[in-house]
Order: sequence, then C-alpha cells, then structure tokens
Amino acid sequence: MNRTLTFLAWLAAFATLAMLPQLITVKYYLHLSILALIWVIMAQGQNLIQGYTGYVSIVGAGFMGIGAYSSTLLGLHLHLPTWVTIAMAPMVTALFALATGYPSLRIKGHYFAIVTLAFNLIIVIVLVNYKELTNGETGISNIPKLWGGSRDAYFYLVLLLAAFLTLLAALIARSRVGEILLAIRQNEDLVGSIGIAAWKYKLFAFVVSAMYAGLAGALYAHFQGFINPEIFGVAQSLDAILAVILGGSGTIAGPVIGAFLVVFLPELLRFADSFRLILYGLILVLATIFMPIGIVGVCKALICRLSGKGLRHGA
Amino acid sequence: MLIEILQQTINGLAIGGVYVLIALGLTTVFGILGIAHFAHGSVSMFGGYLTFFLVTSQGLPVLVAIPIALVVGFLLGLLIEIIAYRPVRDANHINAFIVALGLTMMVEGINLQMFGHEQVVIPTGLSRVFRLGGVTVPELRIYVIIAAIVLVAAMMLFVERTKTGQAIRAVAENRDAAILMGVNVKSIPLIVFGISTSLGVAAGIMVGALFAIAPGIGEGFVVKGFAVLILGGLGSFPGAILGGTVLGITESIAAGFISSAYKDVIAFVVMILVLLIRPQGLLGRSP
Repeated sequence: MNRTLTFLAWLAAFATLAMLPQLITVKYYLHLSILALIWVIMAQGQNLIQGYTGYVSIVGAGFMGIGAYSSTLLGLHLHLPTWVTIAMAPMVTALFALATGYPSLRIKGHYFAIVTLAFNLIIVIVLVNYKELTNGETGISNIPKLWGGSRDAYFYLVLLLAAFLTLLAALIARSRVGEILLAIRQNEDLVGSIGIAAWKYKLFAFVVSAMYAGLAGALYAHFQGFINPEIFGVAQSLDAILAVILGGSGTIAGPVIGAFLVVFLPELLRFADSFRLILYGLILVLATIFMPIGIVGVCKALICRLSGKGLRHGA
Repeated sequence: MLIEILQQTINGLAIGGVYVLIALGLTTVFGILGIAHFAHGSVSMFGGYLTFFLVTSQGLPVLVAIPIALVVGFLLGLLIEIIAYRPVRDANHINAFIVALGLTMMVEGINLQMFGHEQVVIPTGLSRVFRLGGVTVPELRIYVIIAAIVLVAAMMLFVERTKTGQAIRAVAENRDAAILMGVNVKSIPLIVFGISTSLGVAAGIMVGALFAIAPGIGEGFVVKGFAVLILGGLGSFPGAILGGTVLGITESIAAGFISSAYKDVIAFVVMILVLLIRPQGLLGRSP
C-alpha cells in the first residue's frame, strides 16, 4: 500500500480516537474504549512474539497479572506514587519474563506453547495461594486511581501510550531485529546456520511482549481499581491470541483492530459468558481455517485487487 | 513416615493412571498426526460431566452411563477431526494449535451451557475402604487403577496386534510409504481421534468419581497430559505410562509432604526441568 496513504489512515484513526471522549455520550462506551486501548497494548505485545516470531505464547494474561499486582503492591507497601509504580510494572514483568523465557525458548512449537501455558497456571496458583501478599481469590480493591479517577484524563493517557507502543512495535518490526524475528518464524534453523544467535532475538521478543503485557496490567489495575487472580487466567491469554489472529498476525494494524473487537464484540452481542466462549472459540476456529491472514490481510488483498496491483509477497 | 510415603504412592497410582490415559490419547494424536490436541482436556471434562448428568438427571446406573459416555466421546473425536483439524491438515502447525485453542473454548462454553457452573462428583456408591497395615485404600481407587491398566493394555494390544493398529503405526512411521502400501490414510486420523477421545473421556470420568470436576479443569488436564508426554518422551507408549505414573506419584508425595496448594506448581516445575535437562524425555530417543 502507498506509504503516505497508510500514514494518513493512521493519522485519521488516531484523530478519531482522540475525539472519542467528546463524541461518546454514553459513559459506558468510554469505559469500554479505555479497556480496548489497554488491550491494544496487550495485543501489540502478543503480536511481537506470536505474529512476528511465530511462537504462540499463552502466558500473556499471566504477565498482565504480574504487572497489575506489582504496581498495586508497590504502591500499597512502599507508598510510591501511582505513576511511578505503573512505570515500574513492566520492569518487574521483564524480570519474570527473562527468568521464564530463557528456559522455555529453548524448545519449539507446541512445547513452547504448553510450557508458557503452565507458567500462566503457576502464576494464577501463586496469586490465589500467596494470600499474605495478594489477598487470595478475594483480590485487592480500592487500588488508587490517577487524577482522582477522571475517565477522560485516563483515556488520553492510555491513548497516548497505546499509540506510542504501536509506533514502537512498528519500529521494531521494520528494524533488523524485526527482520530476524520474521526469519525465525519462517525458518529458525536457517537463521542459526548463518551465524545469528536466534535465542537472543526470541528472548528479546518474549521480554518486550511481556513488558507490554505488564504495562497493560498496571494500567488495567489503576483503571478498574480492583484486581483478582481470575482476571489473569488462561482464558484472557487466549483472548490476546484471538485478538492477534482476528486482526491479522504479523501486521501493525491487526492487533489494534483485534483488540477493539475482543473488547466490544461480547458487549455488543450481550451474551452470557458461556455463549461468549462458544462464539469466540468458533470465530477462532473459522478465522484460522478460512481467514488465516486476519482482517488486515483480507483488506490489503482487497485494496490490492481494486487498485489492480498484485499482492506483494509476504506483505 | 514410611507409611505416609506408601499411602501417597497408592494415591498417586490412581491419579497417575488418569494421567496415563490422558497422555496416551495425546501421544497417539501427536505421534501420528503431529497435532498438539489442546482441546483433549476439555473433552475429557465434558465426558465426566456427561456421565454425571446421565447418572443423576437420567437415573442411569453408573455401569450403563460410562459406556454411553465412552461412545459419545468416540463420536465427538470423529467430529473434531472432520470439522476442525482436517481443514488445517496441510497448513502451518501453529494453525492446528490455534484451532485447538478455539475448540477448547467452544467445548468449555458448550459444557457450561449444558451442565452449568457447578463442581460435581460422579456418584458411584463405592465407599468401602480397605486398611492394610496402616495404609488406607478406598475401594474406588483400586477400581480406577485396575480400569486404567485394562484400558492401557487394550490400547497396546490394539496398536500392536491388530491390522488397524499396524496401519496406524505405519502412518506414524512414514505416511507416504503407508499410502504406497495401500493403507487408507483418510480413515486413520478418524480412528485415532475416536479412540483417543474415548480414553480421555474415561480419564475425565475417573477424575469425576475420585475427586470432582469443575469448569476450567480441562486446561489443567491437558497441561498435565503434555507434561507426561514431555516426561516420557514424545510418541512413546512406554514413556507415557512411565511418565504418567511418575507424575502422579510425585504430585501425591509433594502434596502430602510439601503443600497441596502448590502440588500443580511442583508438577509443572518437574516438567520444565525435564525439558531443560533431557528434552527427549525419560524414554525418548535422542534427536
């Protein structure tokens, strides 16, 4: 697609989002929009490891939980200001990601997915059982909010962060590192055979994606004012995977679209939880079978066909 | 101390039998079709709930309900293969895995819709308890262990001794050669999925009778199943049997001596350690 056109599209999307608090009259939709923007951060992180590197990680929500709990607990026990703890949350999450990523990235494919899933289960078990620190399944409420809980102000904070992190993800994807990540997805052995230490790049992608999730978790905690272990269970990790697949894995716009869909779909359809699971599962299966390139991929193909150009390979 | 260890070993054997059954299904599917059948745990849970439903709401005797559940499991396995996995057969393996994740969500949702949110225990009426020199052995555990042994033996006989079993092994060994030898490779995945799902359902029923089943328990099942595969070595039947038993006993002893809240964490840590130190598993061939 034309570069300037892409840039203009992004600009328009950003401007529309920036005007949302003025356009939206129902406060609940503003609430959902903030959640969706938090999920944009989450999905961009997931896309780095899943979409670009080709490693399906199922620990996204677990890392989100580590970010949420570390920001909350740092504020509670060390009495640090909220914006400091939010900034520290991704760092704490990165430490956990380093410790778990180093061993688990030595294994490939399904094994990696299973091990990361085990990590997510472990994180939830610890959050439930380490009651002295986490208050167990009851969770922690009355988490301090920024700016006295002003939704509009928080919206802009999250919007700016989501935009910045999307830009950062795009920069990573365009860089040499991003090329190597893509190469790992295509053929990891080949990457190793030309003397590139693939594990360093995989670990980088894994840790960065965890930092995205950690930040998303902290933002979530200080937005909702309440967290408990259930929020960070495997089901949410699957939602992150769904967001990436649905939007278009390995694209920058994909996670943005996917995140909004994942947050707004169940609200618009007003389904019970069990129906939501069935529907999401069905979408995931159908999308993988019939639309593995995601919404962004389908749109790109359409635009290319309309403008009479062939689809650029790998775009 | 010794008695406590013995006691936990016997407890571990029962749960180990369950893990072996789950792992056998997973290892067959993975070994032959190369699919990480992630929905296996949820389907097992579904089988447990179905049995509970047949016994409590429909008033069927347990011994009638169990075969029905096993047959339903077999049919469900066929359905899953045809609808979900066959379309992504030739795509990237990640796609099959994501389809499996989607299937998991669907099965969980359908289960919630059909059977509700309640945690249930399948009533068996088997409540006698034997005492052997300080070790207590509930009757039910013995039956579970025996049933697991019988099912495993039947599965081994099927794969080793029958013509179909031979075809399955041939496809696992070399798909193209099997086609050339006239093996009907289209029906093999169906049979594999049917049998594997039946075994999974059997495991779900055992857990439902021994302990309890609750929504979401399937994730734990399947991760334990994969942990067994990793322990024992991929695609290896003896490995799955050894791995399942070892995991069950380790977990029981850890629950008895360290902490029952963290027993799953211990099981996962064992799995991760094995992956790091001996990635081919205890009985696997070195790559």
